[in-house]
Amino acid sequence: MSHKPIFYLLLMLGAAGVAGVGATQRANLNEDLPAGSMQQKATTACLECHEARIILQQRLNKATWTKEVDKMVKWGAVVDPNDRDALIDYLSNNFGPAQPPYSPPRTAGQKSNQDNAKR
Amino acid sequence: MNSRRTFLKQVYGATLALGTASALPSWAMGSGQSDSIAIPGEDGLIVRSARFFDLETPVEYFDRWLTPVPHFFVRNHMHEPSELSAESWRLSIGGELDKPLAFTLSDLGKLQSHSVVNTLECAGNGRSLHRPQVPGIQWGKGAVSTAKFSGPRLRDVLQQAGVKTGGKHVMFRGLDEVPGKVPPFIRSIPIEKALDSETLIATQMNDEPLTKHHGFPARAMVPGWVGAASCKWLTEIKVLDSEFVGNFMSPGYRFPNQPVKPGDAVKPEDTHVVTGLNVKSVIAGPLDGATLKHGKLTVQGAAWAGEADIVKVEVSTDGGSSWNAAALGRERSHYAWRLWSFSWNAKRGDHVIQSRATDSQGRAQPAEAVWNPSGYLYNAIDEVKIHVA
Repeated sequence: MSHKPIFYLLLMLGAAGVAGVGATQRANLNEDLPAGSMQQKATTACLECHEARIILQQRLNKATWTKEVDKMVKWGAVVDPNDRDALIDYLSNNFGPAQPPYSPPRTAGQKSNQDNAKR
Repeated sequence: MNSRRTFLKQVYGATLALGTASALPSWAMGSGQSDSIAIPGEDGLIVRSARFFDLETPVEYFDRWLTPVPHFFVRNHMHEPSELSAESWRLSIGGELDKPLAFTLSDLGKLQSHSVVNTLECAGNGRSLHRPQVPGIQWGKGAVSTAKFSGPRLRDVLQQAGVKTGGKHVMFRGLDEVPGKVPPFIRSIPIEKALDSETLIATQMNDEPLTKHHGFPARAMVPGWVGAASCKWLTEIKVLDSEFVGNFMSPGYRFPNQPVKPGDAVKPEDTHVVTGLNVKSVIAGPLDGATLKHGKLTVQGAAWAGEADIVKVEVSTDGGSSWNAAALGRERSHYAWRLWSFSWNAKRGDHVIQSRATDSQGRAQPAEAVWNPSGYLYNAIDEVKIHVA
């Protein structure tokens, strides 16, 4: 039957998914910032210029986040002065030194085994 | 806006990938890390940022002298140029000169080409290993790679234009597209380094034209120095009477003159610009956390020292109690890393393996790197923990 190959592919991918190994998971090209009252405002302020991953990988204390937010406002991030403290709290609470490390994705493709460096 | 346009182009160029188990490289199996993003021309790199691109070379790729371009780390401070054309690209040479010049790519191709094999390392490589942690791209150990770069000597171009006696620094401007109100990525190097016979306007990498991610059509190549000196998408070279004043010279890319207590602030006047790379070695294998069979094992990696030469690499398999000389690789060039290896008869149990490089200036990797507020020049003795069964 013509649909068999697709059926078996889906079955294989499904089985691999259940087993937790095997198939690559979809890596989000653009990650989201975590839920919270400041999620939308942080998304607007920060992700205009760079993606969320640059924030997700930081593990900084509140004093350092404060410096970063003030620097980014100087560099064009649009943050209402009334939201500044809440934004700093949001970033400090979600991306403080005690959080486990962020696990980044990799680009597709494999290690080249060719000796020729040009590829 | 440039940022949106570039973003859309980068989304266009980077599509989500769905692979199968058989397509997975060994690092993805058993590591729990199986996400992948397809970015054409960039294979198997760790994605620190996809907009803008900051891609890290996994340490297990440090097993060959020249890094293939698809495995060469990528560091962008901002968005890549949205428009690049070999035909319309121009490089202007101005400032403290007798005769300002402009070059097309074809003009550059008519100048005598010179090659340098250079280990290029981001100043922030290893930033994630500093404690307390500091802001910036959280590089692991792989914001470093080695390639053969070719193109005319910067010296030849400057001498053709005639540097006036007041010319003390040489400024590079790239075509990076600036998001928001971020200061432009402009830096300068002292005239002495600019006139060094191995400082290039590179147009080729591993004998092929530069790819876009590595600065097509031309980039500065300042060997032995932090990667930030080697400006990509070069469009303007200007000879100045003093160091360029701008964010990426100060407060960016500066290092404390004296050691500071980790976590402390440092006054700008107590810092200097980062230039040459530190002495450093990294273990490419075995990988941290690996479980291996007992018997003969090879510990291998790469070691480099910026403007100095590597004179020895030592390996400890007992957590630093004793050290053994590693064999240095045959391939060498002044600014390039040396590969190294050490054969070891591994007995069952848990082991801490370390590597320590020493250079021709007498510098050796310290047990702890010097903490600094921007996380530059991390170079502590490298270490992996393995289990031998």
